[in-house]
Amino acid sequence: MGRLLLRHLGQTLLGTWLLASAVFLLSRAGSEQALLSPDLAAPSASVADMRAARAATRHRLGLDQPLFYIGRTATGGWQWRGRRNQYHHWLRALGRGSLGTSFRTGEPVTQRLARALAFTLPVTATAAVLVALAALTLAVWLAAAPRWQLPVRTALLALQSLPLFIIALALLLLLANPDVLDWFPADSVASTPDAAAAAAFSAASLRHLLPRLVLPVAALVLAALPELTVQLDAALAHELRQPYILTAKAKGLPALAVVRRHALRNALLPTLAQLAELLPAMVAGAVVVEVIFALPGMGCLLAEAAATRDYPVLVGGVLLVGLARLASLLLADLSYSWADPRIRWQA
Amino acid sequence: MASLSPAFSRLSRRQRLALAWLVSLLLLAALAPWLPLPYPPGTPDLAHMAESPSGATRHWLGTDPQGRDVLSGLVFGARTALVLTLPAALLAALLGGLAGGAAGFWGNRLRCSFVGGLLAASALAGALGAPGAVVATGVGLAGALWAGARALRWPVALAVPLDSLVLAAATGLDTVPRLILVLALVARGGTSAVELGLVLGLTSWAGPARLVRARMLAVRTLPFVEAARASGLSPGRIWWHHALPHALRPLQAALPLSIAGLLALESTLSFLGVGLPPEVASWGQQLAAGRQAPQAWWAVAFPALMLTATILSLHFLAARPQPLSAKTGQ
Repeated sequence: MGRLLLRHLGQTLLGTWLLASAVFLLSRAGSEQALLSPDLAAPSASVADMRAARAATRHRLGLDQPLFYIGRTATGGWQWRGRRNQYHHWLRALGRGSLGTSFRTGEPVTQRLARALAFTLPVTATAAVLVALAALTLAVWLAAAPRWQLPVRTALLALQSLPLFIIALALLLLLANPDVLDWFPADSVASTPDAAAAAAFSAASLRHLLPRLVLPVAALVLAALPELTVQLDAALAHELRQPYILTAKAKGLPALAVVRRHALRNALLPTLAQLAELLPAMVAGAVVVEVIFALPGMGCLLAEAAATRDYPVLVGGVLLVGLARLASLLLADLSYSWADPRIRWQA
Repeated sequence: MASLSPAFSRLSRRQRLALAWLVSLLLLAALAPWLPLPYPPGTPDLAHMAESPSGATRHWLGTDPQGRDVLSGLVFGARTALVLTLPAALLAALLGGLAGGAAGFWGNRLRCSFVGGLLAASALAGALGAPGAVVATGVGLAGALWAGARALRWPVALAVPLDSLVLAAATGLDTVPRLILVLALVARGGTSAVELGLVLGLTSWAGPARLVRARMLAVRTLPFVEAARASGLSPGRIWWHHALPHALRPLQAALPLSIAGLLALESTLSFLGVGLPPEVASWGQQLAAGRQAPQAWWAVAFPALMLTATILSLHFLAARPQPLSAKTGQ
């Protein structure tokens, strides 16, 4: 148990570091070109002015230093660039807990990410808990109601194949549309007088916020529900064919009690691994949902950063999602040991 | 064609429908430039913005809020989707099949000649423009090792932990969801379709690699592989000619699913306005444009329907064909 956990964590940390490095290096290599593109210049500026302004910008952003420890020289050979390079500075800043400053607003990236997380975390956590509960209820009910199995499974498979943005778009255009069904407000959260007030959970802001969060959370739940339910359903169906279920039935237990008291715990084990996927998938889902419903969160920040080439924010986002994966792996491993006493006793 | 007909007859009715839809989509995409479409895609018709479907203006499926014809957008969007996702899925299957197949076949004990490895590394360094001294040192070292090994009759070989390497790379790639990774990688502006396809293919080989590796672990213990080994074939030949064709079988069912996933990813990216340049027609971009006018249902409904139908068809096609015995009788 302990060794497995360590291995999982080590792999995740290594993967996160490598991916973030790859994104950092690739994006920086591209940002040189982005800065040199002619469309940045004002029409009236002279050539010398433009060059000076560009050099100043590059110096301010630290882009005038070499990118990596090794680089190509102009003649085509390779050259050792020493420790004064962008990657080294980025790594050292990362060690101190800083992710740099946003290219676009000049704020520290950690500050922007923290503000976005304060909004996204409650939303995604609510959605994750709801998904887990709904999948449990649905699978248990399905196992005890064989007549409903075929239609519900077909519907789940169809739902599973749809991309999240179609689901979210359908919810938005059907349920928050004055022309169709005007059940939910269609204006965005950001249109409140102060976006920061949304983070301060006062009673008034909650009353304003909650109706606007129903549809986003519903879209996240609908998108994540099929995978969990199908997995749990298959595991339950497998367990229900085992001999101990026959014994439980022979004792005269009602069908629902057989499922809940006997089959469920065994069926949960393979599904728990699915939980590790849930949290990162939720963050990816948040990108789509927050853009569609115009919520000022993590996903909206990432999408905006991608559209405006704000690389420090993007790299920070990749690191943060890696951390989310780390947290969910921990959660999954812990819940493994909770659900299966054999794992607990081994440790 | 004769060999295809029994496979076709085993498809369920749903699968035949899905196949028909996909084939017609393929034809539509291939013939798009020669179809008699009344309007070109992406060109705004400023006299008819957000116009409902009607025959009078010859906008058969209406126009979006920016005045672009929905029908030609759909047709050329199918072209984009096909050109982008099919090569990306094939690239992912190729990379994943080779990596997973090699990892499953050799495990952690791929014996690689140290001398050969050193020579190859020096040649690579030379090709990349390393100074001559480095290359000469590498070649000299390799020669000395080779001579020493011959004199001492001691095999100089290195066990490469191929399996661990491939699995670790696949796990590392899966750490961050594909949407976020691709979003971060294609953020730099002016991504061409080729670049986007490369990024999509290079980030989605982990799934195929796992499938092929698992199958290869079973295949390599089968008697015919053992027979090939006993008859003295080299491991590389056994892998390529005998084991790999069998280990690649699971990819057949996985390819439609992989295409469906890439299609969803690509349309999500286009919907978010990242990736393809805005003048390239794609279903995701049509949906993003249609969202701005909630009363123009046709601008959203038709692309959404196309996307849904295509992804569902791909999923149906990937489902296991019914075995003959199950159909003919219980």
